[in-house]
Amino acid sequence: MNKTTTRVAEIIINELKLEDVTPQTFDADLDLVDEVGIDSMDLATIALVLRDEYGIRIDEDDYPKLTTVRIIAEYIDNKLTSGE
Amino acid sequence: MNAPSQEYKFSEITAHPLIRDKWEKVRRYFFLRESTYDMTNRCNIRCEGCYYFTGEKQFATENNDRDDWRQLLEAEKKRGITFVVLAGAEPSLVPQLCEVCYRAIPLGAIATNGLKPIPREIDYRIHISVWGNDRTSLAIRKAPDMLTRQVTNYQGDPRAVFVYTFNPDNIDEAREVTEKLAAGGLQITFNMFSAPVGYQGPLRHTPESLDRTKQVMTELLAEFPETVLFSPYNIVAHTRQQGLHELFSCSYPRMNPSTAIGLGRSFRQYRTDLQWNRDAACCVPDTDCSDCRHYAAGSAIVTARMYRHATDPVTFSAWLDYVDTYLAVWVRGYEKGPNLCEVPVVPPPNNS
Repeated sequence: MNKTTTRVAEIIINELKLEDVTPQTFDADLDLVDEVGIDSMDLATIALVLRDEYGIRIDEDDYPKLTTVRIIAEYIDNKLTSGE
Repeated sequence: MNAPSQEYKFSEITAHPLIRDKWEKVRRYFFLRESTYDMTNRCNIRCEGCYYFTGEKQFATENNDRDDWRQLLEAEKKRGITFVVLAGAEPSLVPQLCEVCYRAIPLGAIATNGLKPIPREIDYRIHISVWGNDRTSLAIRKAPDMLTRQVTNYQGDPRAVFVYTFNPDNIDEAREVTEKLAAGGLQITFNMFSAPVGYQGPLRHTPESLDRTKQVMTELLAEFPETVLFSPYNIVAHTRQQGLHELFSCSYPRMNPSTAIGLGRSFRQYRTDLQWNRDAACCVPDTDCSDCRHYAAGSAIVTARMYRHATDPVTFSAWLDYVDTYLAVWVRGYEKGPNLCEVPVVPPPNNS
């Protein structure tokens, strides 16, 4: 996992208080809605923490696309690269 | 009030002790996932502008089989539903079905006209609809002594919250009703008449009636803080010229094509035949979406827009007050705290 992926996993674990998993063991391709059980309010909370961490804005309309840790990490990296 | 121009981190906003406490308080309820259920197609009164008796759902076959309802609710629980809203036409006429729902999913609310008490063992929040004083209720709802009978039925009942629906003709009666409920130690929250599709009658709000409603709500909230479950931001969100959809983009399936997450994924509105239709699924089906300022709709729609409210401490406080209010109105045992934001915050831009 790259640095962003690990950090996103860590934030999700902390915010959702997930047990028995570490950023290193978190399956980055796990479907966060279907397999972890997060909902829109959880995702909004995570988006705010990510906004703090990376200084990027996550559009509410983009939530449905952010289905895995890997996709979220790629989304962040793309935003950082494009300077949005 | 406009939001400050300074950009805040979320951690800076929630560093304020009062904000942090309320944030931690409300976020414990983020597990709530609602669906709504029409319980019967019968009602013991017939109100002008009733959304239930608009559109097709009123003609659905009524299923009174407890086992069918039990199976449905168990399936709903497996689907992740944690909160039920029992509504149309009049749930108190089928208490046996309400009890089946309560046994399966113990968090929920029942929307009733309050004329027939709902058994105490069904420990849901009870929303009792009020459309004015008894004279007005007789005219619009064709039921005599309505408020008097509602109060008698629910006096001292901690499940009860009276829901006053403002329309252009009953604005100034809200004070009389609030005073009566306050004297009885009862609670009230505010709703806005939201026109059913095609309705062009006198109950539809006008710019003038919205302004007057805002003024009366503000006065009553200030004068009866122990009785009125509302906040200044509730007043803003529900009395603007723009309806809830234009302000916040409705997240119910009827207006939200996404099935990926949130209400678009999980919400269903079951009719009395235990069927549901995604195209009609929202908390008040057959309401004209452009005129929707309904309290139930706002509870979900405004709450879902947390991210855009997390811009500064004032705006986020207003959002927290709204969510604190919604939880107090809908969840048994949840106690509303003092409002943090006493100023009328302008809703954030809607870029969705």
